[in-house]
Formats: sequence, C-alpha cells, structure tokens
Amino acid sequence: MISETALQSRDHRERLISRRGFLAATVALTGCAPTSRAPGPPGRSSVTILRAASYNADLADLLLRGAAACHLDVRGKRVLLKPNLVEFDSSTAVNTHATIVAAALEVFTKLGAAEVRIGEGPGHRRDTIFLAEEAGYRRGIPDFDRRFIDLNRDDVAAVNGFAGEQRFYLPRTALSADIIVSLAKMKTHHWAGATLAMKNFFGVVPGAIYGWPKNRLHYIGIHRSVLALYRVFPRSFAIVDGITGMEGNGPIQGSPKPAGVVVMGHDLVAVDATCCRIMGIDPDQIEYLRLAGVLGHTAAGEIDQRGETLQSVRTNFALPAEFRHARLA
Amino acid sequence: MGKLTVSVSRLDFLERSQNPDGAWGYAPGRQTWLEPTCYALLALYPRQGRVFARGWDRMRGAQLPSGAWPAAPGMPEGHWVTALAITLHATAGVWDEVFQRGVAWLLATTGGERGILVRAAHFLRPSLVEFDSRYSGWPWQPGTSSWVEPTAHTLTALRSASGHIHDPRLGARILTGERMLLDRRCRDGGWNYGNKRILGVELPSYPESTALALIALAGNPGLDGPAAAALAERQWQATRSRLARAWLTLCLRRLGSRTDVLSPLATGETDVMATALEALGSAAVLA
Repeated sequence: MISETALQSRDHRERLISRRGFLAATVALTGCAPTSRAPGPPGRSSVTILRAASYNADLADLLLRGAAACHLDVRGKRVLLKPNLVEFDSSTAVNTHATIVAAALEVFTKLGAAEVRIGEGPGHRRDTIFLAEEAGYRRGIPDFDRRFIDLNRDDVAAVNGFAGEQRFYLPRTALSADIIVSLAKMKTHHWAGATLAMKNFFGVVPGAIYGWPKNRLHYIGIHRSVLALYRVFPRSFAIVDGITGMEGNGPIQGSPKPAGVVVMGHDLVAVDATCCRIMGIDPDQIEYLRLAGVLGHTAAGEIDQRGETLQSVRTNFALPAEFRHARLA
Repeated sequence: MGKLTVSVSRLDFLERSQNPDGAWGYAPGRQTWLEPTCYALLALYPRQGRVFARGWDRMRGAQLPSGAWPAAPGMPEGHWVTALAITLHATAGVWDEVFQRGVAWLLATTGGERGILVRAAHFLRPSLVEFDSRYSGWPWQPGTSSWVEPTAHTLTALRSASGHIHDPRLGARILTGERMLLDRRCRDGGWNYGNKRILGVELPSYPESTALALIALAGNPGLDGPAAAALAERQWQATRSRLARAWLTLCLRRLGSRTDVLSPLATGETDVMATALEALGSAAVLA
C-alpha cells in the first residue's frame, strides 16, 4: 500500500519515477485519490453538441453551424488544425476521421482564416506521412502535403515554466499559430480514463527531442502535462469527433463506438467534461479535469449546452478496467 | 537503374541539403538536428568530400561538456542521438577524446526504470506493463525509461566501437541491454516501441522498431538468425512505410539475406533522414 505521506508528495514522486512506475502508482492511487474538484473560473462556458449519424453527412455544413453557435471568429488568423493521428489500425477507430479534418479545413477557410495548416506529431510511430497515408488523410484532405507539418520534426523554441521543467521545447508552428483547433477523437484511455480535446495536445510535443513515446510527459505526469500544455496554448478551440469513437482499451486497442456526435467549444475543459458525460464518464473521476481549476469549467451547472441535449446523446462507452469506478450515475 | 547510380543520386540530394551551418535538418532549409546530420554523414562518409568535412566538424563541435550530444546544437540537454555520433566515430575510425567522452556518457546513462520507486510500483502491479525490471537499456533522454529504439542504437554503437572502449562497464551494459531487448519482444516475434504487453493485452510489433532491434541483436545467441531474417522480410513486404522499409533493408543486409535495388529518388524529395537511410541501405555503412 502507498502511504499518506506518499500521497501528499505525489507531484514530487511523479517527477521521480518512470512512466511505468507512475502508471502503477497512479492506478494504485485511483481508489483513494481526493475527488473534490478545484474551483473553476468565474462566468460560464458554452459547449455545442451536434448530431451526425455517419461520416457521409454534410460535415462542413455541420461544423459551420457549430462554429456559428460558438461565435467562432477566425478572420485573418493563422489556424493550426491538430487532429489525433496516433497509429493506424483498419479494424478500429484510432484517429480523427479524415472527413472531419477535411471539413474543418473547408470551414476555417470559408470563415476567413488567413492560413490553415494541419499539424500532428504521432507518439508511437516515426513515419508520420505513412500514418497520414494509411488513415486516408493524403487522399481525403485537399492539398494535404502542402498544408501538413510533422510536429515531431518541426523547428522548435524553448518555453519556460512548463510543469516545473527548466526548459521545454515546442514546435514553432504551434507556438506561432493564432489559434490551435484540437480536432480530437472521442476515446477512452487506459491510463487517463478518457482522451479528448486537451490530451490531444500531447501530439504537439516534438518526438525529435522527447522520443516515441514522449516519455518525458509520463514522468511529469499525464494529467499534469495535459494541464501544462493547455496553459501554453490557451488560444484554442475544440472539435471532438464522436461520430465513431473508441471504447474499452483505448486509445489504440479499443473497439469502435458509434456515438453520432460532434462536440465543439472554446473552453476545452468544458468540452472534455461534456464529452465525458456523453460517454457516461464522471468528469470528476478524470484527474486532469478535477484539477483544471481556473482553466475552465467542468461543473454541468456552469456549462451552457447548445445544440443537442446531453440526455439525448448520452451513450455509455465501455470503460477500461482501471476506470470502472468512473461510470457516471 | 542500378544501385550505385541511385545511391549517388541520394548522396547528391544530401549534399545539396546541407544547411549553411554544415549540418542537416529533417528537411532542406529547416532547423538543424543531429539525428539527420548523423545519418547524412554516415551516408556521405564514403565520399569524404568538403560537405562531409564541414558536417563532421559541426557535429563534433556540438558535443556537450558532459560528453553527450544534444538533439540539436545549442540545446544543453544530453540526448540519445549520442549513440549515432558514436557510430559515426566508429565508422570514421576516430577514437579520440571526443569519442571516449561520448562513450562514457552512454555507459553512465540508463533507463529510469532502475529507480527504487519504479521497481516498487512495478512490484505492486506487475501486469500493468510487463517487463523484467532487472534489464535496463537506454532512454530517449536521461531520466526517462528505456525504450527499444534508443537501446538498439546504443547497442549498435557500442558494439561497433567495442575494440576501442576500455571501460569495465562495457560488457555488462551490452549484456543487460541485449537482455532488455529480448525481454521486450512481442509475441509476434518483432518489437513494439518498447512494450510487449500492457494490462494483459499483447501489443503488435512495428517494422521500424523490429528492424532496429534485429540490427542490434545480430549475432546474439538468443536470436534465431534465419527466423529473424524471415521476420524482417515479411515485415518489409507488409509495410508501406518508407522509413520502415529503409530500416528493414539495412537490417536484411546486416543479416545477409537481401540486397535491394532502390527506385530513383522522387522529384521534390524533402526527407533527409529517409533518403540518408536508403543510401545507407545500398552501402550498408551503418550495419
């Protein structure tokens, strides 16, 4: 058993032990971790839920409606679309679907963005272009090769104050964007509980420095890293592809889960909390959401739902074994 | 088109892609990194021209006081790419102080899973990520865990230079590193980026990691040579990844079972690392 003293020094320990140790310790802690939520920021957030039965729907029109509901203004801005392209397995739904990325490209161009680029730095496989090919991005997204930047190999700049690291390097393409759109996939995650708009930013971290996987983030702590990345990229917007998500042993080896929704919003914390509720997960059981504090709203009473109601689209995702306690009542 | 012509074409591309500082980016005109720089230099070594000399000086000059090389010149942190710098020194037959300090850094660097807290956590929940905690390899960065790729690169580097390393730690580090790789082997016979089983679920191997592990383990009695070659050949046939095929070609040459005729370099080529590895595959310098 892990002692109370060890619990109190969790942050320190996360920095000391390896990913494996951290994971083991994290899961061992799951049952006794505090469940109180850090106070959120003042005001309220809004999240838009749109229904889409399949990828054959008119997704550009859908996203345009969502953008209007969110009062999204990207005129004259440099936009970076950040899909979740992590690995390819034709038998399941690992990645943000190419049609969603293509639709987002069309919409942000139509909304007057000065520039729309697409960037990703997969965390497992080194050949990013191969993954993009396998996932249908090169065929399905207009002008993909010219717009795409492999964030694992991009030019980098150091930032200070990232989760206590003396220096942390991030891609210049991401740092210089006026807005980063987290085009995430709605998935369960065997270590984090869920991977949604915020954790999708792990793909921004350059593998050329941090490796495959980006193990430094595990040493810092998964949840702590999720929050630190959001602090670096507060100018962001979320579009979560839940048309077909992933349940069970996500983020790679789970099963496809048709949820038939796209979730959008400026407040990524609120978007992730809403996605959790759609998936039948209690957001207070997801550590990075519980600790998000002033970064955004997680309480249902502080989030204005637009579009579909939560109740009408809720579909319980099968949970990883380590997160069965997180089922929303 | 014959191998030599194609290889020369790739070497021409590499020479043209050199940055003004003498090193290479992952693509022409982009930020200098030492990984593509080392691969480009390994590929260009047989030419021994002015381009190589400038790159060699740039690479050597980037060494940190610790003996490590950073991911990119100017970064103060040591990095796994030190292994490639040592392989390059071994290829060039340079065994000087710069080489020795790099080797010492590699021998002193180990995966974070050797830490007592990690071992305790692993003892409590061994099924989360299954591995034998007695065997440690090399991390991407100091202070993090061992993974297949940096371990394979470091083993390849240390073995290629072993006749010129007199550090008493060498034999034990190679032995444990090889055992670590063998322990992490997936059920399908290849290697994932680092794990074989998570939460009781088998992980699939990746062709890139498999190629690198097989290169590092070539000659190890724990490896069935013909079976390893057959696995690499199957993965070569199955993958459409250019990078994976480049690594697997090197691997198959190392295992003595394949020589490839490369297709011409594509117009508008931008990938320095893949091009260098393909050129190496036709010359087999690294292996």
